[in-house]
Amino acid sequence: MSKKIIVSFMSLSVFVATLAVSGCGPAGNNTAPAPTTGAGTTGTGLKVGLVTDIGGLNDNGFNHLAYVGLTKAEQKLGAAGKVVQSKQATDYVPNLTYFASHGYNLVIAVGFLMHDAVEQVAQQYPNIKFMIIDDVITNRSNVVSAVFQSEQAGYLAGAMAGLIQKGHSLPNLNSQNIVGVVGGQPSPPVDSYIAGFQQGFKREDPTGKVLVTYTDSFTDTALGAQYAQNEMSQGADIIFPVAGGCGLGVISAVQAANKYAIGVDTNQSYLAPKNVIVSATKGVDTSVYDVVQSVKNNTFKSGVDTFGLKQNGVGITAPMQGVPQSIVSQVNQLKQDIIDGKIHISTTVQK
Amino acid sequence: MSVLANPQLWFATLAMATPLALPAIGGTFSERSGVVNIAMEGIMLIGAFFAVAFSYWTNSAWLGLLFGMLMGGVISAIFAWAAIRLAADQVVLGMAVNIFAAGLTAFLLDTVFGFNGTPANTPSLPTVHLPWLKSMPFLSGVFNDQSVLVYIMIVIVIVSHWFLFYTRLGLRIRSVGENPLAADTAGLSVSRLRYTGVIIGGLLSALGGAYLSIGILHSFDVNMTNGRGYIALAAMIFGKWTPFGAFGASLLFGFATALGIALQSFNVSSNLLGMLPYVLTILALAGLVGRSTPPAADGIPYEQHR
Repeated sequence: MSKKIIVSFMSLSVFVATLAVSGCGPAGNNTAPAPTTGAGTTGTGLKVGLVTDIGGLNDNGFNHLAYVGLTKAEQKLGAAGKVVQSKQATDYVPNLTYFASHGYNLVIAVGFLMHDAVEQVAQQYPNIKFMIIDDVITNRSNVVSAVFQSEQAGYLAGAMAGLIQKGHSLPNLNSQNIVGVVGGQPSPPVDSYIAGFQQGFKREDPTGKVLVTYTDSFTDTALGAQYAQNEMSQGADIIFPVAGGCGLGVISAVQAANKYAIGVDTNQSYLAPKNVIVSATKGVDTSVYDVVQSVKNNTFKSGVDTFGLKQNGVGITAPMQGVPQSIVSQVNQLKQDIIDGKIHISTTVQK
Repeated sequence: MSVLANPQLWFATLAMATPLALPAIGGTFSERSGVVNIAMEGIMLIGAFFAVAFSYWTNSAWLGLLFGMLMGGVISAIFAWAAIRLAADQVVLGMAVNIFAAGLTAFLLDTVFGFNGTPANTPSLPTVHLPWLKSMPFLSGVFNDQSVLVYIMIVIVIVSHWFLFYTRLGLRIRSVGENPLAADTAGLSVSRLRYTGVIIGGLLSALGGAYLSIGILHSFDVNMTNGRGYIALAAMIFGKWTPFGAFGASLLFGFATALGIALQSFNVSSNLLGMLPYVLTILALAGLVGRSTPPAADGIPYEQHR
């Protein structure tokens, strides 16, 4: 008898512990930053829910950036924010529904992986406003889509890589002039970066070579490291990961081999300060903040919001130490040319 | 085939086989003693997380490895206690450990290290470079600069085989997995031997997890095992519950992953190549290896009759 009681007690406690850890309301990991405003219904009372994709908040990338934008909106706009991290694709609909059904004014879905889920939930809750990042939804009057001209950021990063390869401007580069890209899944937000990178590189180093592989994963860090090693074995010594958390493995491998990487989405130089040449950034934080503000000021507009170099929605960070000033100024010139519309960049990856 | 002659392919095969072989052999120990263990995935995550955490706190990757394995041992001891002493259903228990470990490590990562993840200056285990391999470029390309855990894994494969099949303790562990009543009658402590099997399994699974976090990387990521514990389960069955078999099966899965990476340079669709390891799993289990029979008392709790 006693054994049975202990067993049921144990299973119960494990169950409870799991619930406590994973959060019981919506599926996935529940993180609730303390709302800065008091009661939810009085005052501004703006409630914003953020749903990450499977990359999670510690992807050192765009999920994290969305959270940064939300935090800023909490502090400056007095919004009450809440984050739910999705553990798997089947969490998207319940997580979005959770916020929509609990009277949140704005529900933010991070990532194109949530396209179908947002379309579905936005239709069910026509009075709730939705924002999707990195994806285009135009057939819903309550959805705003934030898209980024990542090809522009990729172009600048590629041009910098090309100039560095052509001039052998950093130590420990081989003479093969090969750079590599490790993508997650072939998809518009990933491919626009890659396409821009290819064109920027080819402009500055037309005889050089860009290797492109896809890991088919945004989460498998160890696998990313193997992809990087594979490209390095083919002679690549600057690698651009566009694969979310999986790309962190690329940076690790590059660091171990004393080669170079280019950061993506956010400034990733802190991951390997001597190896990350520059980061191609995407202003997910800015876009989140802007949309929260538009909801607050009743200026919310559905449709597509495009963020490019012009709007400071994409860009590149200051390069690491050792990159020659002449290269930096050439890249800055290219940036100006893109803003002025003198350079047209395609979003299609060259095979 | 230029692909097969490229040492990088075999380098990646070995590197990707290691995090499968270690838990697969761990599972072999557990199941040989008669306890079904599907908790490898969870124990790997525990090992991976605590290896990084302690590696950072002590500033020594080796101490990190030790503590990571220790935590894997602790969680598997709890698992063993519930499975052996309380005679709980082992499959349900294993699943509980997996879900619990996934939640716990994600929770601890966020609360202890915050959303920026584990610090970038966390030390990792060294790689091994054998200068005398230089005259053989192919072997040098395959074996040089692998993590030290790859070499430890190879030693563990051999030692495990010797331990399970050529030592008295190994024989005893196998005997309680085949016929616990007979072993009990002969005066062996069934529960103690089963504890030994499960805890060795936990240590090895945690080692496999630590390989991912501080062997090839130096960071922890939520759910970073990515189902490798389950593939290891398949490798254990496919390897017919023997260390060499588990190692061979892991090499096959590692090869499938490595081939997927290598073939991308030939413009083969990445979606198709991503399937390769799983297709091989199904093919292997569907008949390539013939019938594989688990230990006779695997999964059956033993109640002592006095």
